[in-house]
Amino acid sequence: MPGGALEVIELHKHFGGVRAVNGVSFALERGRIYGLIGPNGSGKTTLFNCITGVERRDSGRILLDGVRVDGLKPYQIARRGVGRTFQVIRVFPELTALENLLVVTSGPRATAEARARELLAFVKLEGLAGEYAGNLSYGQQKLVEFVRMLMRDPSLILLDEPAAGVNRTLLNDLLEAVRRLRDRGKTVLLVEHDMKVVMGLCETVFVLDYGEKIAEGPPGVIQTNERVIEAYFGR
Amino acid sequence: MKRLAVGGALGIALIALAMYPAYGTGYGNRAMLQIFMWIALAGSWNIISGLTGYVSFGHVAFFGAGAYTAGILIASRAWSWPMAAVAGGVAAGVLALGIGGPCLRLKGPYFAIAMLGLNEVLRALVSYFERLTGGGNGLSLPTLDATVPIYYAMGLTAIAVTLAARLIIGSRFGLRLMTIREDEVAAESMGIPTFRHKLLAFLLSAIGPGIAGALTARDQGYIEPLSVFPLATTITMIVMTLFGGKGTVWGPVLGAVVLFVAQEIVWARYPYIHPLLFGAIIIAVVLAMPRGVLGLLQLKYRLPRTI
Amino acid sequence: MNVVITPAMVGQVVISGLLSGVLYGMVALGLALIFGVMRIINVAHGPLLMLGAYTTFFFYSTWGLNPYLTVPLSMLVLFGVGWLLERTLVFRVVDAPELSSLLLTFGISIALVNGAQLAFTSDLRAVEYLTGSWMVGPFALSKSRVIAFVFAGGLTAAAFLFLSYTRLGKAIRATSQSREVAMVCGIDVGAIHRLTFGLASALAAAGGALIAVIVAIQPEMGQIWTFKSFLVIVLGGAGNYPGALLGGMLLGLVEQLASLFLTTQLSEVVAYVLLVLVLLVRPTGLLGGRQT
Repeated sequence: MPGGALEVIELHKHFGGVRAVNGVSFALERGRIYGLIGPNGSGKTTLFNCITGVERRDSGRILLDGVRVDGLKPYQIARRGVGRTFQVIRVFPELTALENLLVVTSGPRATAEARARELLAFVKLEGLAGEYAGNLSYGQQKLVEFVRMLMRDPSLILLDEPAAGVNRTLLNDLLEAVRRLRDRGKTVLLVEHDMKVVMGLCETVFVLDYGEKIAEGPPGVIQTNERVIEAYFGR
Repeated sequence: MKRLAVGGALGIALIALAMYPAYGTGYGNRAMLQIFMWIALAGSWNIISGLTGYVSFGHVAFFGAGAYTAGILIASRAWSWPMAAVAGGVAAGVLALGIGGPCLRLKGPYFAIAMLGLNEVLRALVSYFERLTGGGNGLSLPTLDATVPIYYAMGLTAIAVTLAARLIIGSRFGLRLMTIREDEVAAESMGIPTFRHKLLAFLLSAIGPGIAGALTARDQGYIEPLSVFPLATTITMIVMTLFGGKGTVWGPVLGAVVLFVAQEIVWARYPYIHPLLFGAIIIAVVLAMPRGVLGLLQLKYRLPRTI
Repeated sequence: MNVVITPAMVGQVVISGLLSGVLYGMVALGLALIFGVMRIINVAHGPLLMLGAYTTFFFYSTWGLNPYLTVPLSMLVLFGVGWLLERTLVFRVVDAPELSSLLLTFGISIALVNGAQLAFTSDLRAVEYLTGSWMVGPFALSKSRVIAFVFAGGLTAAAFLFLSYTRLGKAIRATSQSREVAMVCGIDVGAIHRLTFGLASALAAAGGALIAVIVAIQPEMGQIWTFKSFLVIVLGGAGNYPGALLGGMLLGLVEQLASLFLTTQLSEVVAYVLLVLVLLVRPTGLLGGRQT
């Protein structure tokens, strides 16, 4: 069943006096790749946290395929087909790579294990399935986190800085994987600082600054948007 | 081949333990009974705290709850001790759900604080409901020499707890408990309902102590708040698990045996040094050997997770 | 419970609550500082208070010093103890998972309590210096509690002034808000940690010194203070330092009110239920603070 259409309406989240997300609204259509950019501290990760239920939003609505999900617990949102990676890698270090993927599922163990091995093979890590995730290299951990996110076959995929700290070859493999996911009908929203990645991959880009959406459009248009340039290079 | 050898060794050990009362002295039987009790306690503490990382500082509350439940049922309603032991386990389970329901919704540190206070509260409640519990004067049970049957009952409890730990740690349920320890937010974000898992682990970890408490009550024939709710019991089960290896199956067993024997040989003569030494051991283990003996070996020699 | 409750009784209870509340607040402030700056739950906080009480007892019984004069002495001694504990043991678990710091401070608390039992025996000690009450209208104010209130109030005020206006105090607050930023600003975070732990121990010691005149001194006296200090922090909000003071007053009030309507035995149960309720309903504390 296709899913993954996200709608965020007038989302607000503040911490004490800081307005991390200040009235952001946007809509994602199924089967497309979107980018979310903005200077540091513009509220991108907070936005992700609100969508996935990790943070409680103060006001606003979040709809997944037309159904409200704001206020749900993170595991409930995950079970509705939302997958997410983190800005700072969060694998389970004392579990093996295979176990990292296994824990996420509930069906028969044999099926789950087969799928886990398949996903590890997909990112060429099948040989390290029995290695503790904490012992893997940065790039390998990143891949484990990526395929762990895919275990539940999510329809909406949120990637928080997938390119950070990753070498070119690995990055190309990741981007290729993201395109293939899009081709299979999944919706992808990625936060990224690497402009080349954003320009080359995303169909539509949203720009945040100080918690507000200041621009929205195809990458080429965004690049020349005055407000965006101002946000990045100073006022 | 290796499995057969291990299974065989285990089998022989179990048979030896089963035959022991026929040969053992009164003191020996008592000591073995205590070792079984500690295995049940440490092993149970391991299920919640070793796996999920939620430190239960008040776990002795379940021991005391089981003791008083059984004590009251035996003394005033003439229940048989096996039934009373089951009731003790059930009571502890109910208490776990009652406490765990609210407290496990909190993040780790807050849960630890809540558990710290639990002891004091239960002691206060026991004093308050004096009519039922005998308050500070304690509760006496009708005399019964059942040391040998209780030896077996406690042994079975120890085996059951260790078996439960083995099953949990070898399953995805156990892995999910560990993810709570590793990174609870990431676990939730991956679709794992952490609260449910914590509550179930907590429930399972309470039953063993509940039954052990009930059996101890019957064995001692007399219980009072200080004897069944002492902080020292919680401290001991924590030290045993930490030393042996938290998160492993046999770690608590190892810790229970080694520390109990050491305690009997060396420290029983110096009653005040021994809790002090336990405090020092906790500090040393946390700083130098946080995974405990078996945890360290597991890491070094790549032993299976279910060791 | 067929006791008629008069307004005078309620007034008495409210006053008692406020008197003890400030004391709770001061001790809890120490705990709040450790938690705020180092993100560590110091289970050994109560035992540190207990050592403060014993220090006062020592000065009083050996040299006959006025116990209130020994308050700064006890604070100094325990500042040193706390500083040393951080320097040798606690600093190792500052970045470790919470489990480690919880267990470490738990181990330290056991060592301290049992060490005290070995050194001092469990015999109850007392500092019999000030007894009796002052009568203010219909209310009886226990002299020792009033003086404890005055000292605690003064010390807490001094602590807040220190935190708000001195460079060190601001450095402490900066570190508690963001360790990384503090480091970037050139703050020696390790020294701040040692200072904070020492300071917190001093505040606990002051509490111990002040109640040495009021209650019996024995090695286990601190345990309930650890729990109550946490309760205060939960009430006031984690990381919210003024909240610790207000939380303390709230706890004092609730406790005294509860003892009016229920027996004192159950007042501990009330404190516990209060803790659980607040944690469920407002995990960030009644006055708003940070979630762990």
